[in-house]
Amino acid sequence: IMSGSKPDILWSPHHPDRYVICDSELGLYRIGPACSAETKAGTLPLSVDTAATLLAINSDTPYMKCVAWYPKHEPECLLAVGQANGRVVLTSLGQSHNSKCKELMGKEFIPKHARQCNTLAWNPHDSNWLAAGLDKHRADFSVLIWDISRQSSPDASVAAEKIRLSAVDVDSGSVVTKPLYELGQNDACLSLCWLPRDQKLLLAGMHRNLAIFDLRNTSQKTFVNTKAIQGVTVDPHFHDRVASFFEGQVAIWDLRKFEKPVLTLTEQPKPLTKVAWCPTRTGLLATLTRDSNVIRLYDMQHTPTPIGDETEPTVIERSVRPCDSQLGSFAWHPSAQNRMVVVSAANRVMTDFTVFERISLAWSSSADLTWACGRHLYDCTEDGAGEGAESAIEKDIATKMRQRAQSRYGHDTTQVWRNHLLAGGDDAQLKSLWYDLFYILWRPELQGNKQALVYSGIKDIVKVSSGTAESRRCWSGSERPASALRYHSEERSLALRLCGWTSQAGGAGGGPEVDAEPFLLSLEQGREWQRAAAVALFNLDIRRAIQLLHKGATTDKGDLNLSVVAMALSGYTDERNSLWREMCSSLRSQLRNPYLLVMFAFLTSEPGSYDGVLYESSVAVRDRVAFACMFLNDTQLPRYIEKLTNELKEAGNLEGILLTGLTRDGVDLMESYVDRTGDVQTASFCMLRGSPGDVVKDSRVQGWIENYRHLLDAWRFWHKRAEFDIHRGKLDPSSKPLAQVPQQHLSDS
Amino acid sequence: MELHILEHSLKVASIEKEGIQICTHGLIKLAFLASKTRCKFFSLTETPEDYTIIVDEEGFKELPESEHISVAEATWLALNVVSGGGNAANSQPIGVTKIAKSVIAPLADHNISVFMLSTYQTDFILVRERDLPMVMHTLSSEFTLLRVVNGETVAANSLGVTNGFVKPKLVPRPVIHPLSSPSNMFCVTSLDPDTLPSVATLLMDVMFYSGGPKEAGGGAGEDSSYIRFFSFSLIEGYISLVMDEQTAQRFPNNVLFTSASGELWKMVRIGGQPLGFDECGIVAQISEPLATADIPAYYISTFKFDHALRRHTEENASVLLCSVSCSLHFFFTLIPTDTVLDVVGY
Repeated sequence: IMSGSKPDILWSPHHPDRYVICDSELGLYRIGPACSAETKAGTLPLSVDTAATLLAINSDTPYMKCVAWYPKHEPECLLAVGQANGRVVLTSLGQSHNSKCKELMGKEFIPKHARQCNTLAWNPHDSNWLAAGLDKHRADFSVLIWDISRQSSPDASVAAEKIRLSAVDVDSGSVVTKPLYELGQNDACLSLCWLPRDQKLLLAGMHRNLAIFDLRNTSQKTFVNTKAIQGVTVDPHFHDRVASFFEGQVAIWDLRKFEKPVLTLTEQPKPLTKVAWCPTRTGLLATLTRDSNVIRLYDMQHTPTPIGDETEPTVIERSVRPCDSQLGSFAWHPSAQNRMVVVSAANRVMTDFTVFERISLAWSSSADLTWACGRHLYDCTEDGAGEGAESAIEKDIATKMRQRAQSRYGHDTTQVWRNHLLAGGDDAQLKSLWYDLFYILWRPELQGNKQALVYSGIKDIVKVSSGTAESRRCWSGSERPASALRYHSEERSLALRLCGWTSQAGGAGGGPEVDAEPFLLSLEQGREWQRAAAVALFNLDIRRAIQLLHKGATTDKGDLNLSVVAMALSGYTDERNSLWREMCSSLRSQLRNPYLLVMFAFLTSEPGSYDGVLYESSVAVRDRVAFACMFLNDTQLPRYIEKLTNELKEAGNLEGILLTGLTRDGVDLMESYVDRTGDVQTASFCMLRGSPGDVVKDSRVQGWIENYRHLLDAWRFWHKRAEFDIHRGKLDPSSKPLAQVPQQHLSDS
Repeated sequence: MELHILEHSLKVASIEKEGIQICTHGLIKLAFLASKTRCKFFSLTETPEDYTIIVDEEGFKELPESEHISVAEATWLALNVVSGGGNAANSQPIGVTKIAKSVIAPLADHNISVFMLSTYQTDFILVRERDLPMVMHTLSSEFTLLRVVNGETVAANSLGVTNGFVKPKLVPRPVIHPLSSPSNMFCVTSLDPDTLPSVATLLMDVMFYSGGPKEAGGGAGEDSSYIRFFSFSLIEGYISLVMDEQTAQRFPNNVLFTSASGELWKMVRIGGQPLGFDECGIVAQISEPLATADIPAYYISTFKFDHALRRHTEENASVLLCSVSCSLHFFFTLIPTDTVLDVVGY
């Protein structure tokens, strides 16, 4: 609909390269590729690639208010023009040798009373039918359906008509005054469109309502009172969906539920001038407001069927800016995907423009990535044949979690530490985590508040001090007292046990004797010679340390360098200014193995200051913490633990669970671990071990659990999902019964 | 049939001829620069006595306060009869002819005074806001009553109040006011709002500067029964014009809309002297016989306030059983030129 000199665009229904611009006159253009170097005379560039050529101009019809292009192939360039006085004139653009066209050209359809013709619509089924919507005139009709094949009828009214119409017109038979149908009496019609459902259904925006006229029974109409009566237009992809507007607001209707709009779009500050469904793409509506240089697009792609659905569907809204100037009008290309031509409000500047399709992107539950753009679907899969030992896919956490789920990771509830083997046994942090959990859960002889204390982590345990004793022990098997002071308390013994260094839980009242032998044996079994040597050394047993290193050097595939280290160790002297001490201090930095390094750091350090050991980050946290529990005093210890805890929390390092325990602090740490890795699987299994009332009900923990369940579902691991739910139900009785399994069935079985 | 109660709150005012120049600024704005105001209902009718303005409250703000302007106290509401509903085919043409029987006469029977404004597009029946309950009660049997709220039509709840309402006195309405029929012929027309700027100066000339008896044209100087009458309205974006043949000829070709059903109308003026605002049945007096004879007609009520005539009015009022002191009510009817005035007892 256009008014005055505001331009509008119409695409030819059959020639994809032709369109008409109408403002004060009609201009027919052909669109084609832009000419190479210089612009040919008479062509107008529309975009980088395309240009338009003016084919014909028609200025025969002044007072144009609306134009509609004849929908049939032949005659190809026949246009109906609605005028300010309500007359509809058939005209054409360019030469036509079609006889039917010559016969129709100049034919006029004249209403009884003159008033503006607001809209025209050709019937898509019977191309002889042309509906015209007119302004109000007292008792006259506002919707007239003309039959363009009808000859002017020589009835009684003609005599009277002659007074008004020039005699020439009437005699030439080019004037029709009797419409085929007259509808909408005493009303105004602002917009019209035929419904694709039936040839005889016409939707009209009347003065204060939308009405569906059924020409099979003109006494009946369906209508709904509304202000949104402008620009009615049927969605070409969904024939029950209709858009109409009022001022700045678009209403979307469903004709099956024609009582109120199913949706209203965000109101624009300026009045709308055009609203059009994209003919090449479902659910895409473009709108233009006055004095605007953008076209707003509403993507109703995801609209669920509105029937019986009270919630408003989501609409994705965005705007595009085809050119810099203010836009007069636009028209979607009838067949080229998402393409439109826009015309500026002034000077008839045209732009050929294709709306770039919104990209939607989704990760699959495996490592694939899929995205859709327009009618294309792209799938992106990481190449499985990676260069290194581990391809990128194998390193991906999704792949790992999948494999771990299949190997029953997390489900070993008796020997909890074994879960790290189920996870592949190659992840130091997971190993540390599952050992931590193992030590926390394994508590044969703890009583009272200690039961709860083990959950709270070493950080909280060492805050309490129930009488720390200090002792200066002798080197094992020697009379020489060691220079380092050792500290003992019940809490420290418990911490050592949680570190895995001792198996006795601070028995014998936290006595000075610590039996490290079982731990050393297990390290020996694991061939962790350097670590074992360091543990022996920290237990002040140099002889055992040397023996362990020697063993490491002599067993098959052993490191012969360990004998050299053993030799160096055997020369230990606690004399401050000895050559040994001097050389060890300077040469130890060349040692690659962190445990060997900290051994010499310990031996050469001043009593009470062990930073060389405590801050050697390559040494496992549990070993450093155990060391700290033995050699740091009551002031140093909590400070060190606090500092270390914060570092590990920040880094999301699972070794830190030893310090935080399964507390809120532990959840914080796990949160940064999940942020870093995405490993919701480990997070779920670990935190389910925490106290149900406190840790498990944390929303983050519940989120990880739910996400892990969704992952299992996405992988179609239905049995694993069920297994996990059972596992969860045992550990967290408050977890809700499963929604998809009716409860009575559960109780029946 | 549906009776729409429109949402405009209207004021009816009279501007003295001598005072028109102080109002031209506001009137030009209302008539030609509607986008600069929030006015949706504006009508100006020039008669030999005065200018009658019907304007909504937003538009009323554009008029200055002056001793030359008198405003009827009441707020008026516009009613509009629409064929409406599902049955478009079986309803007969609606015009005042039809309305006369179904609206005007019953209201007159209930002593409700109405103010009429026929335009090119439709007929507005103005009633006082305070009379609305009675209007609804009276018309609810014949019409589906709808109210326009925020531009949307909703069912109007009939107030259901009947207590205290007087039973209609079904007395014959004799033609009690004298009728006169001026010699000039009139046309009711409209134009495309987009072409309004091109004829704005001509319209201003017609509205404000063509009043002098010398200029009357068409040899009116000698013809005593010539009447100066012009009406312009701009209601919800639609323009309507009532002017005599001579004035219409001053417009360029193709600007004014022409109608098929007879171009020219004869005028019947009711009331040789001012009529009271509260008098009812004036419209009915003439519309009923015309309707009976199935003669289409346009009706335009006007208002005049004049100090010189006040006393006269008051005297009149007692005769007419009315008590308003300063309201005058003229009434014009346009009928087809071939109508014999015998129908209304002329």
